[in-house]
Amino acid sequence: MEHILELEHISKTYPKSNFTLSNLSFSLPYGTILGFVGENGAGKTTTIGCILNTIAKDSGTVKLFGKEMQDNDTDIREKIGVVYDGDNFPGFWTAKQLSQVMNGFYDRWDNTLFQKYLADFELPENQKIKHFSRGMSMKLAIAAALSHHPKLLILDEATSGLDPIMRDEMLDVFLDFVQEENHSILLSSHITSDLEKVADYIAFIHNGKLILTAPKDDLIYHYAVLRCKESQFQSIDRKDILAFRKRDFQIDVLVPDGKEAAKKYRDIVSDHVSIDEIMLLLVKGEQL
Amino acid sequence: MKGLMKNNFYATLPSAKALAIIMVLTGAFITAVISQTLLISYIVLGIIGFAEIAVSIVKEEFSSKWGKYKLTLPVRRAQIIKSQFINQLIWMSVGTLFAITVTALSWLLHGCPYDSPFDIVTTFVLGISMSFFMGAVFFPLFYLNGEERGHVFISLSLVCAFIFCYTIVSLINYLIEPGFNNRLLGNVILLAASAMAYILSYPLTVRIFRRREY
Repeated sequence: MEHILELEHISKTYPKSNFTLSNLSFSLPYGTILGFVGENGAGKTTTIGCILNTIAKDSGTVKLFGKEMQDNDTDIREKIGVVYDGDNFPGFWTAKQLSQVMNGFYDRWDNTLFQKYLADFELPENQKIKHFSRGMSMKLAIAAALSHHPKLLILDEATSGLDPIMRDEMLDVFLDFVQEENHSILLSSHITSDLEKVADYIAFIHNGKLILTAPKDDLIYHYAVLRCKESQFQSIDRKDILAFRKRDFQIDVLVPDGKEAAKKYRDIVSDHVSIDEIMLLLVKGEQL
Repeated sequence: MKGLMKNNFYATLPSAKALAIIMVLTGAFITAVISQTLLISYIVLGIIGFAEIAVSIVKEEFSSKWGKYKLTLPVRRAQIIKSQFINQLIWMSVGTLFAITVTALSWLLHGCPYDSPFDIVTTFVLGISMSFFMGAVFFPLFYLNGEERGHVFISLSLVCAFIFCYTIVSLINYLIEPGFNNRLLGNVILLAASAMAYILSYPLTVRIFRRREY
């Protein structure tokens, strides 16, 4: 399988904050969406910084379109669309001015497409961006990221702060984007419900470490959580346990194969597990 | 580069418009009255004023994520810095143009506004040199020490520019005997020193900016 983005053994340490992104490896195949999940401060934005060269990694390699991107590789950046959380553009601009500026940056800037997005997203062309609501600003950033016909979208918390209706609209736009086989999206978020809707793969990051990468369908249809008592927990084969979390009178155990576990441990209740719960168990739970 | 220049233009334009209105009004007043002091202030402050607003947009870019976002666009870091230096030169030229216009009008209406016509050149050299020094100090300092101290660095770079000019002028006055040729030489030295500082500041800023993380 060919990958649009490959990270191998990426490490980055911030001595002042004592935060380390350690040995991160994952890849994003063409035509897919990878949900990059983690709590605030887990290292998602640092990872994206390493991918986009806004942060200098200490070690490891990042390949975009099969090549390591240097400062001079403007042709690679031509094929990438980026959306950051919050205000992406100066507030004193209008959407029209933004288009004029972007037209100067990108060889393939498509003003007609940008106008279409403005109309679809109901964004005013001549109003200053500083008067936009947060949702409008994010929509504008997504429109700008899509209007130069990128092949890879890198979205850092692009849906956070949007109401559910707006989020749903944006997720539809992302799904449309990956209809093209050579398009992919890296979608960093801590809103797991969004990722459940659109992602093909999920990568969990916690404290700068990648703790799990798997196809989303595997997580939803194969992974399960066993609700057991202390005595039942002792009977579970340690190899079956990915993570567990003790609660008042119950222990939740994350297992990679729910059907197999249900057969093996007939007296233990086995539940389907959401991405949210997997994240909670991996982050808050213990591992053997 | 075209995108960067457009970006800088749109960023500078709102403040430049406001300053241009002030320049037109004060320019009209200074043209009407005969005051050497006012004209000197107009020339020096006009050139520095436009140079300063061009410099301050760099700071504004980091009040949103635009400063970081630009790094993801198909431009090199050196081009970003180059565009900012060029932008300052452009707006300095606009300030100089205002100063030339008002000086010319004043001369037409009231005759030479200075004791000696050459003093006009000296005033322009002072304004341009201070602007060069200000840019030369501000850009590397800003990228070296972070965006949150932008206001402080603008003030600091203005103070440094004044100190540099004052020191050079004092040295010239001390070392060179008075006379027309020596005054000419003094102006050339001041202009060359400030232009050199500006030119050398560019690779230094690029070097610093290449190491910055956002």
